[in-house]
Amino acid sequence: MAAPTTLFREYRPLPGVHDETVGPDGSLRPEFQRCMSALGACQPAEFARHQGFAELALLNQGVTFSVYSDQRGTEKIFPFCLVPRVISARDWARVERGLRQRVLALEAFLDDVYGEQRALREKPLLRELVLGGKAFLPKLRGVLPPGGVRIHVSGIDLVRDPSGTFRVLEDNLRTPSGVSYVLENRLLSKRVLPEVLDLARAHGIDAYPERLAATLRSVSPEDPDASSVVVLTPGPYNSAYFEHSFLARTMGLELVQAADLFVKDDRVYARTTRGPRRVHVVYRRTDEAFLDPEVFRPDSLLGVRGLMRAYAAGNVALANAPGNGVADDKAVYPFVPELIRFYLDEEPVLEQVPTFLCARPADCDHVLGHLAEMVVKVVDEAGGYGMLVGPQASAAEREEFGRRVAAEPRRYIAQPLVELSTCPTWDASTQRLVPRRVDLRPYVLNSRAGPWVLPGGLTRVALVKGSYVVNSSQGGGSKDTWIQKEQV
Amino acid sequence: MISRVADACFWLGRYLERAESTARVLQVTRNLSLDAALTPRQCWQPVVVVEGEEARFAARFGPEMEDGEVVQRYLTWDEENLSSIVRSIGAARENARSIREVVSLETWEVLNELHLWMGRGDAPARYGDDRDGFYRHVRRACQLAMGLLQGTMLHDDPYHFIVLGTMLERAGQTARLLDVHHHALTQLATHQVVETAVFLALLRACSGFEPFMKRGRGPATTLAVASFLVLDRDFPRSIRFSISGALGRLERVRPVSAIGSPGAESLERLRALDAWMSAQRPAALEAGSIHALLTRVVDESAAICDAIGRELLGQPTPTLEQHQAQ
Repeated sequence: MAAPTTLFREYRPLPGVHDETVGPDGSLRPEFQRCMSALGACQPAEFARHQGFAELALLNQGVTFSVYSDQRGTEKIFPFCLVPRVISARDWARVERGLRQRVLALEAFLDDVYGEQRALREKPLLRELVLGGKAFLPKLRGVLPPGGVRIHVSGIDLVRDPSGTFRVLEDNLRTPSGVSYVLENRLLSKRVLPEVLDLARAHGIDAYPERLAATLRSVSPEDPDASSVVVLTPGPYNSAYFEHSFLARTMGLELVQAADLFVKDDRVYARTTRGPRRVHVVYRRTDEAFLDPEVFRPDSLLGVRGLMRAYAAGNVALANAPGNGVADDKAVYPFVPELIRFYLDEEPVLEQVPTFLCARPADCDHVLGHLAEMVVKVVDEAGGYGMLVGPQASAAEREEFGRRVAAEPRRYIAQPLVELSTCPTWDASTQRLVPRRVDLRPYVLNSRAGPWVLPGGLTRVALVKGSYVVNSSQGGGSKDTWIQKEQV
Repeated sequence: MISRVADACFWLGRYLERAESTARVLQVTRNLSLDAALTPRQCWQPVVVVEGEEARFAARFGPEMEDGEVVQRYLTWDEENLSSIVRSIGAARENARSIREVVSLETWEVLNELHLWMGRGDAPARYGDDRDGFYRHVRRACQLAMGLLQGTMLHDDPYHFIVLGTMLERAGQTARLLDVHHHALTQLATHQVVETAVFLALLRACSGFEPFMKRGRGPATTLAVASFLVLDRDFPRSIRFSISGALGRLERVRPVSAIGSPGAESLERLRALDAWMSAQRPAALEAGSIHALLTRVVDESAAICDAIGRELLGQPTPTLEQHQAQ
C-alpha cells in the first residue's frame, strides 16, 4: 500500500459509508492507485488554481443553467468539482448489464400499458396506481410509436450503499437532463488533468451526440437518411437551455421552439426562410404537458397544436414518447423487479432501494411509525422538491409531514435512508479534500438496434456537509465520471 | 433555415456591428476633442445625433454639453439607452445565446466573455483609468467575433443572414455619420483647417483614414471624403460596398430564381437600391444634394430591414421585439 500523497494525506472517509476512492483504512483503492496518486501529488495551492481555472472556463463558455426562482434568467454555473469519480471496469460491467435489462423491461411495460395491459390484469394494485395516476395518457392506448421505441433516452439514477452495491434510486424516462455536463466536465478534465486522465485509462464519452443522432434517425417514420430531425426546446429561459443547444450543436441538428413548428394534415413542418419544411423526428425537451395544447394544457403557449395527432398517425417520431411517465412514476418503481421477471423471465441484475408504498395500508402504518428513519417522497415531484429526509428533519417537521402522508397516502412512498457513498471533494474554504455524498446518473440510448449505455455518467455531489440531496436545485454539484477500461 | 434562427442571426450581425461602431466613434471623437479647436458641443452633439438619441439625450441631460463625459457615459453604459455599447453587447450576446447551436463555439465564447467583462468591475475600471484602452478592448473583441464568424462558421444561410444584418447596419451607420458631420460643418462655416480635422476624424470614425490615403485623392476635402465614403467600391465601410455586400448575401439566401418563395419584395428593393447607388456620380455629393442622397440610403435600408423581417424572419416573438432596437 502506497502512502497517500499530499492531497489525500488528511482525507478520512466517514465511518459506515462506502467511499468511492479510498478504502476504510484510508488508503487509495488499488484499482485507482495509479491515477489518484498522480492527482494526490498535487499541492493544495496548485489544485486550487486548477479548480479556479475550471470554474472560469465554465462561466466563459456559458455552461450554465438558469435559476427558476429568478425571472430575469440569471445564469449560474453548475458547481463542478475537479476531483473525478472513478468506477472500476468490473463494477461497471454489472451496472451496464443491469441498465440494459431495466430499459428493456420498462419498454415492455410501456408497450403493455398502452396495449394489452397483461401485467395490470395480474397485479390489481399496480393497475390501480397506473390507471389512476396522472401520468397515464388513455388517448395513447393502441398507438404504436414509430420505430417501436418509447424510451430513446433514459437517465437511471443509482446510489451506492455501505457495502458498495449499486442500487437504482429512480428512473427518468421522460426528458432526463444532464448529459451535456457529462461531456463538458470531461473537456475540463482533459484540459486541466490530462496526465491523471491518461493514467486512469477511462473510456471516451464523446461519441454520445453521434449515437444520439443515430438513435433519433433510426426511429424516423421515413428513410432515416432523408429524414429531418430537430431538437425542441422551450427556449433560452429554460433552466436546461444550455443542454438543448449543446445537443443540437454537437449533433448538427436544428434547435427549434414550438412556434417554429406547425402541423398540417397530421404532418409536422418547420417554418423556414424558404417556406415550410417537413419534420420527421422531434427530440423534444419540453415537458409533456406543454407539447400540444389540443391534448394537454389548453393554456399552453409553448405547444405545437396537432402534434399528438401527427404522432398518433405515425407521421412523426417523438423522443421520448409521450406517456412514459407511467413507467418512471415513483409509485411504480417498487414493482420494477417484478416487471423484469414478468416480461423478461430474468432475475434483476441491479438492486433497488427497499420501498414502502403508502398506498398499501400496512406500508403506510409502518412509514408513519418510523418517519425518523425514512426518506419520504411525493410520487409526482422531481428535483428533490417536496421530500422529507426523516433523520435530518425536526420532530415538528416530521409530524407535519406525517399528517400530509396520512391524508393522501397514495401520493407518497418512503425508503429507509441509504447511506450514500462519498467521494473526495474539494472544499475551497479549507483548501482540502472532504468526503461528500454522491449519486450517479448513467445515460442509456435505445434505438431499433437495442439499448446502449454511455460509459460514463453524471456524478452529482451534495456539496453541503452532511447533506444527502445532490440535486442542482438544492445545492448539488457535479464531477467528471471515469469508467475504467478492462485490463488487457 | 428556421425563420426565428435567421432573425437572431440577422440581429446578431446588426448589434455586433453597432457595438463596434459606437465604440469606434466615441474613441475617435474623444481624440478629435483633444486637439481640434471645437467646442465640446461641436464635437459631441453629432455623435448623439448619429446614434439617433438627440431627443432622449436632451430630455435627460438638457442642451448643455460641458464636456464629452456625459455623452460617453450615456452611449457606453446607459442601460436605458438601447444604442449604448453595454446594451448592444448584451443584445448581440442574447441573440447569440438563443442560437448557440448555430454560432460557432469560438465566436460564442468571445461574445460571452465580452458581455461578462462589461458586467464585472474590470470594464468600468478600465473605462476610468484608460478610456482609449477601454474602447480598443470593446472594438477588438467585436472584431475578433466577426473574424471568428467568418473563419469558423459554415458560409451557408446562418452566416449569410449575419452578414446581411452587419452590412445593412453598416450602410446606415456610414450614411448617418457622414450626414451629421456634413450638416454640422455647413452650420459652422469654419476655417479650412478645422474642416480638414473634422473630416480626417470622420474617416477615422469609419476606419477609413489609411484606405482613403491609399486612394491618393489628395487633401481631405468635404467632397473627396464624401465620395470615398459613399461611392468607393472596395472600401468595406463605404455605403456602396455595404449595400452591394448586403445584396450579395440576400441573393444567396433568396436566389433571384426562387420565384414564389418568400423574400421577393426585400430582394427587389435591395436590388433597386444597389443599382441606384452604382449609378451615382460625385456630383450628387455636392453640398446641395448630399443630404437627400444620404436620407434616401438611411430610409431605404430601414425599409429593407423591415421587409426582410416580415418576409424572411417570421414574426418576431414579443420578447425579442422589445430587445431589438431599430
